[in-house]
Amino acid sequence: MKSIYQAKRYKIKDIQRQSNNNIMLRIKTKINPSPGQFVEVSIPGIGESPISTASYNKKILDLNVQVVGNVTEALAKMRIGQKIHLRGPYGTSYPLEQLKGENLILVAGGCGVAPLRAVIEYLKERRLDYKEIHLFFGFRSPKDILFKEEMKEWKSLYHLNLSVDKAPEENPFNCPVGFVTQILEEADISADNSSILLCGPPVMMDKSITILENKGFSTDKMWISLERHMKCSTGKCGHCMVNGKYLCIDGPVFRYDKVKGIDE
Amino acid sequence: MGRVLKKEDYKNFLIKFKNAGELIAPVKTDMLRFQKIEDVEDIKLEGNPFFPLKKFFLPNEEILLKIRNGLTKELKRKKSFFSNEKKKIIFGAKLCDINGLSILDKLFLDHEYPDEAYKYRRENIIVVGVNCLTPPSQHCFCSSMDLKKESYDLLLHERENDYYIDVLSETGKKLVKYLPEENFDYPLPETRKKLDKKNLWPFFADNYWENDSEQCVSCQRCTILCPTCFCFDMFDNINPSTRNGNRKRKIDSCHSKDFTKVAGGHVFRDTRLKQYRHRVLHKVQFFEDKFKRSMCTGCGRCIEHCHSKIDFVKTINEDFK
Repeated sequence: MKSIYQAKRYKIKDIQRQSNNNIMLRIKTKINPSPGQFVEVSIPGIGESPISTASYNKKILDLNVQVVGNVTEALAKMRIGQKIHLRGPYGTSYPLEQLKGENLILVAGGCGVAPLRAVIEYLKERRLDYKEIHLFFGFRSPKDILFKEEMKEWKSLYHLNLSVDKAPEENPFNCPVGFVTQILEEADISADNSSILLCGPPVMMDKSITILENKGFSTDKMWISLERHMKCSTGKCGHCMVNGKYLCIDGPVFRYDKVKGIDE
Repeated sequence: MGRVLKKEDYKNFLIKFKNAGELIAPVKTDMLRFQKIEDVEDIKLEGNPFFPLKKFFLPNEEILLKIRNGLTKELKRKKSFFSNEKKKIIFGAKLCDINGLSILDKLFLDHEYPDEAYKYRRENIIVVGVNCLTPPSQHCFCSSMDLKKESYDLLLHERENDYYIDVLSETGKKLVKYLPEENFDYPLPETRKKLDKKNLWPFFADNYWENDSEQCVSCQRCTILCPTCFCFDMFDNINPSTRNGNRKRKIDSCHSKDFTKVAGGHVFRDTRLKQYRHRVLHKVQFFEDKFKRSMCTGCGRCIEHCHSKIDFVKTINEDFK
């Protein structure tokens, strides 16, 4: 019997620097995750790290890595042509098939935009199956904006609302300064036949959900992605367990009414 | 269908086990613990061993993958546990510990992702249980935990003139095929202490969690001694110059401060209250919700050996009303 913890080795095709502490690794692999799922990336000798996937249906798997710990620091030092280990994909995904014919509202903050990039790539191929698509993406400052090139394309295809918390220097995108939640509050969106896909820091998601509930959106139309340090990713080790739910196999994407009010 | 063993043949029965392979049974050393047996006279069946049975199936630390020259490699295992075809037999485990194996089976064996290391041990270790006639400790509360007669190969039940041996597996059958057959439904012990099972969700925000957790010192004894606590950490251990090493797993505890730490330093369950509540609810609520069976087997070790004598059974019975 094969070990479920065994990972396969893949070559890094390209590395794109996204911001000061974000890089995007483009890896040649046959792993084809659904939007919202994640993979365990590892460098033998340093360790494993769960990273959400940022692309859909290509021979190249994109992983946006924010440098915060040991493994991500080592990943940031990798060069093109070097190999990393991957296992997965794991977890649940955004139920995009089920949401056909609806308006979609994507709300994300910081590197939470990465998993939603996979959603956007999925939608691009099936644009006619969905109605209006609104994107609300917030970043800390213009320097921290991820996927800068693609933002231009997304602006022409969807209703893109980009915001930055502060713009001390220049603001090349001319985006409004303020939290993404403020932009969301002022936005003209209707709850009629709409679903929300959320990903980002817990505070941002909590605020966004309150605003959306006030606007008349029901909680069973919201899909959120939760985050913990998944170590085994196979529903065992217990590190990602919240109130009996393993985020690695029962999540990370949940319908909000199923996890509303869960406390540690 | 079971078998019957005469009392005078009991010693020979154990010697047979000892000759068949490595025999492990409870021995009184500094404390009662499972240990390799040299002389079958050393075996002590009174009382429950300090450490539960789980350590033979989920060792405190074990290698999951080898790392050779910067690559992860799977372990090559021998088909049989020992090269000389000798078997490992664990004798004298109580039904609470054995039911702990059924709980571990649900996550490590009958699961979407079965664990290779655990499966290997489960297939290669023979478990011979011994039924308690009276509860070995005043803290036992197994008669309220619906223990099932499962997950062992053989189980001995002492009767007035003989032993009844319950046979569950084919391996067990082979070991006792020379004994006369009998059909008997052995009784389980009746404990004085009982857990009043109830839905604990309405009490999630109750103050009584605070009363208990205030006394907790996070010594993690409860999780180490629990027959069903399995949470583990995964890490790489490597020699930087040779790039050789291992990817290991080590038993972890949800009472540890860094258990829910994420990259960047945030700890989600940052207080003892949250950690304590998580452990108790995992045992008697979360697992029940998912598998329709309590994860706690009622061995009472976490109460008996608690540094501050925190008794979650008492709290659930008396305070959550």
